[in-house]
Amino acid sequence: MATDLDQQLMRATEETDVPLVGVDLRRALLGLGGLIGFIGLWWVVSLFQPAYVLPSPVAVADSFLAEATSGELSTALWQSIQHWIPGTIVGTFLGVSAGVAFGWSRLLDDITSPVVRTLRPVPPLALIGFAIAWFGINNAGAAFIIAIGAFWINFYASYGGVEGVSDDLLDVARSLGVQGDLELIRSVVIPAASPEIMTGIRTGIGRCWMLVVASEIFGVPGIGARILRASRNLQVDIVITYILVLSLMFLIVDTAFRAVQKRVLVWR
Amino acid sequence: MAIGHPSGSTVRIENVSKQYDSKQGPVQALGGVDFSVESGEFVCIVGPSGCGKTTLFRILAGLESPTGGEVLLNGSTVTEPNSDMGIVFQEYHLFPWQTVKENVAFGLKKSDIPADEKRRRVQHLIDLVGLAGFENSYPKALSGGMKQRVALARALAIDPSLLLMDEPFGAVDAQTREMLQAELVEIWQETAKTVLFVTHDVEEAVKLADRVVIMGKNPGSISEIVTVDLDRPRLRSDPEFGDYYERVRERIYQ
Repeated sequence: MATDLDQQLMRATEETDVPLVGVDLRRALLGLGGLIGFIGLWWVVSLFQPAYVLPSPVAVADSFLAEATSGELSTALWQSIQHWIPGTIVGTFLGVSAGVAFGWSRLLDDITSPVVRTLRPVPPLALIGFAIAWFGINNAGAAFIIAIGAFWINFYASYGGVEGVSDDLLDVARSLGVQGDLELIRSVVIPAASPEIMTGIRTGIGRCWMLVVASEIFGVPGIGARILRASRNLQVDIVITYILVLSLMFLIVDTAFRAVQKRVLVWR
Repeated sequence: MAIGHPSGSTVRIENVSKQYDSKQGPVQALGGVDFSVESGEFVCIVGPSGCGKTTLFRILAGLESPTGGEVLLNGSTVTEPNSDMGIVFQEYHLFPWQTVKENVAFGLKKSDIPADEKRRRVQHLIDLVGLAGFENSYPKALSGGMKQRVALARALAIDPSLLLMDEPFGAVDAQTREMLQAELVEIWQETAKTVLFVTHDVEEAVKLADRVVIMGKNPGSISEIVTVDLDRPRLRSDPEFGDYYERVRERIYQ
């Protein structure tokens, strides 16, 4: 018995030491190989194509450097961040709140369900008219489009998470003196649904970077507007440059959030 | 012992019945269950599956309401779980996002006991159930028996006068079960709480209980109450134990 407990204890303490970001050397090397292979293939194909169809990786690297040194890149990035951040935060917050509330309350769910189902299939792009009318051609308008995207992802993730919370845990909590909806939501529902909520937030963050392009389609300056302008001028190297910027931003934010997720969900 | 009421609670189950509506019409799960439990008594409820044990348990715990009759805890009607009772379920139902310590302290969060006293009480309970050293482990790292110990400590933390247990040792291996049974009896003797313990295991019931309430089905009701007049710790090999065992078993499967 005693040795049994000792072993359990060792295992228990080991499992709580979770590294912040796990790095698997083999995977990293294979991934690097894949990346080099991809760029190689791209380069070979680009040899047989005019630059307006597919510029070579070297040409893209050149324009990347040019954009970065001229300050264009950082200007566009900063402009996009100014609506990406508020859009993501507002959309995530509202989506999680509504998802938790409607997932929890049968009454709210019954009341809102028809409206939710009507609004759900509306693509954020279709709401550009409202963005302009309600907010104008500015960061707020673009943030609105981004927020819509973040909202639905977080709404459904949280809703599903809350629906999946076991009634037994709620019974236990009630038997231990937790009373009232708000108290139950705070102390049981949200922590129990946190894995799904976190996954929703993470997916939403990625989706919001994609929506940056769409949100700038009506003239708000930023990375998306820059991509659209370059497309019209057939400057494909510039287009790819800014696509890379979006990818990099996504990678940075996603990695950071994954680290947070691991920390918060250390109990899983 | 820092924790412990001067005495446990009394429970009166007065003509409790429960009817469910199903597609095939109403189903009578419990038909007029009537018995009472004295302060500090250890009562086991046994019966075949489908006899309404779990329904009765949920009504006792205030998680469901009876369609007829009522449950009185220390004289007042039970309508919802309250802090006079500690509930332990078969499947533990620990809060997986909380450590052992946090799980045990869960029911104390809102109480106005000073933080120092809370910490001491939680530690005492963790020691009592033999989990010292695991205070900061998460449930995922614990075995079934250990999880059930946490669940027991968590239920004891609110210092209930009644401990309600629904097949608490049904999901652990035989050796662990025996150990937990012995520990439960010790804790019960130490704290003088009233224990109502649902099980389908006849041996467990005879080993633990002052009285065994035997239930039959269609509809779920009491078929007999057997008083087990044996000293503790009880041994399976004791011929008298065997007599009680046979008596209860026969009554269930007759």
